[in-house]
Amino acid sequence: MEQSGEYRIAASREAVWEALNDPQVLGECIEGCQNIEKVDEQHFNVAVKAKIGPVSATFNAELELSDLNPPASYVINGNAKGGAAGFAKGGAEVELAEDGDATLLRYAVKANVGGKLAQVGSRLVDGAARKMADDFFAAFSTRLDPGAASTGESESEEENKDEVPRYESSGSRSIWLIAFVVLILAVLFAI
Amino acid sequence: MYPFNYHKPETVADAVALFNDADDAMYLSGGMTLIPTMKQRLAAPTDLIDLSGIAEMTGIDVAADKVTVGAFTRHNDVATSGAIGETLPVLAQLAGLIGDNQVRNRGTIGGSLANSDPAADYPAAVIGLGATVHTQERAIAGDEFFQDLFETALQPGEIVTRIEFPVPTRAAYRKFPNPASRYAVVGVLIADFNGAIRVGVTGAGPCAFRASGLEEVLNQNLDPEALEGVEVPDAGFNSDLHASAEYRAHLVKVMARRALNDLLS
Repeated sequence: MEQSGEYRIAASREAVWEALNDPQVLGECIEGCQNIEKVDEQHFNVAVKAKIGPVSATFNAELELSDLNPPASYVINGNAKGGAAGFAKGGAEVELAEDGDATLLRYAVKANVGGKLAQVGSRLVDGAARKMADDFFAAFSTRLDPGAASTGESESEEENKDEVPRYESSGSRSIWLIAFVVLILAVLFAI
Repeated sequence: MYPFNYHKPETVADAVALFNDADDAMYLSGGMTLIPTMKQRLAAPTDLIDLSGIAEMTGIDVAADKVTVGAFTRHNDVATSGAIGETLPVLAQLAGLIGDNQVRNRGTIGGSLANSDPAADYPAAVIGLGATVHTQERAIAGDEFFQDLFETALQPGEIVTRIEFPVPTRAAYRKFPNPASRYAVVGVLIADFNGAIRVGVTGAGPCAFRASGLEEVLNQNLDPEALEGVEVPDAGFNSDLHASAEYRAHLVKVMARRALNDLLS
C-alpha cells in the first residue's frame, strides 16, 4: 500500500514543529489514541483503538525514527500489531515546508499489510486512510490556531502551548507521529 | 470463538435499553457486514443485539404517493414485492441488483443504510428519491443522513425503524457492479418528480451524495445529449484497486446517461 498527501497548516513551521514535539497534543489529536510512550529518543510505543464502520480494533505499534533533519524532514519506520486483525510494517517520509505564514506538510507512506486485514482486501484502504489523516489534521490545525476554535477551548490550548517548551530539548522526534497515524490507520482500515 | 452476550429483544425500546446497558454493544440486522467482520476478529462487541424479532421494524406499506419500508425488510422482499414493483419499480429493481441471492435473502435495508458502505446500493435510492429515514426518536431527511465514510447522522444507540420513499413520476437506476462482489463501483439513480430532477450517486465518493451539477443540467434539458458536455469533478472520489477517482467520475456520467435512457424509454 502506498499513499501520500499534503496538508496546509495555518501556523509557522516552528510552531508546527513544536506542537509535533508534544506527545500530549498529538495524542489528543489522534482519535482513539490510548497511550504514547517514549522508550528513548528514537523509539516510541503507541496504542490506538480505531473504529470505522463495523471495524474496531486496538493496534500497538513500535516506532523508530531516523534521518532526523529538524525542522524540515524525518523518516519513520514502524511495526503495528493488531492481534488477530493483522499487522503492518512500513515507513513514511515527512517534510515540512514554509508557505508564507503557513506550513505545508507532505507525507509519503509505504506499508505492507498482513493477517486478516490483508486477506479481506483493500477496497477501502485509501478512503479510510485519507479520512483518518484529514480528521487528524483538522484536529491538529485547530490546536495550533486558537482563532479557529471556540472561545471555550482556546484557554486550554493556551495552556498546552505553554507546555511545549518541555519537549523542545528533545527536539525533532515527532513528525513521526503524523506519518505513523497515517501508516497505522491506513493499515487498520485495509478491510 | 470468543464470548459475547446475545440478545433478541421484541421491541425497539427493549433493544435500545439493552444497548445502553451494555459495555460495547452492536445491533445485528441482516449481519451481511457485521458477521464477516466479527469472524475476521476485526470487531468484538461484548453484546450483540439481534433486531430480527422486532415486529414493528418489518412490513411494506404502499400508498399512491409514498412507499414505506420497515427497516428489517430483506432485500429480496423488496425486490419481489408486487406492490413496490407496481408503484415504485425502481426500488424493487435496485434491491434485486444488490450482492448475490444469499446476501439478498439475509441483508436488510435498515442495516445497509446504517452501515453506509460507500458502495452500497440503497443509499442511491434514499438520496435520489429524497426519502426520509425514521428512527425511534426522529425523522432524518435523506439528504442529511449520509455524512462520510461509514458515517451517518445516527447517534450511538439510535435504530433505523422505517424508510419512507416519495413516489416519483418516473425513475431509473443503473450501476456498474464489481464483477465479484456486485458492490456498485458507481451507481446512479435519476428520479423525475413532475419535472423536478433528482440525481443520487453511490460508490463514487466516501458516501452517497446528490449530483447537483447533473441535476442543474437535466432540469433544463432532460436529454442524454445534454450530459455530454458536463464535467464531473473527481475531487474527493474514492480511488482503490478497482477504479481510480478519475475513472469513477467518468462512470458517473456513463451510468447517468444509461439511467436517463431507461427513464425516458
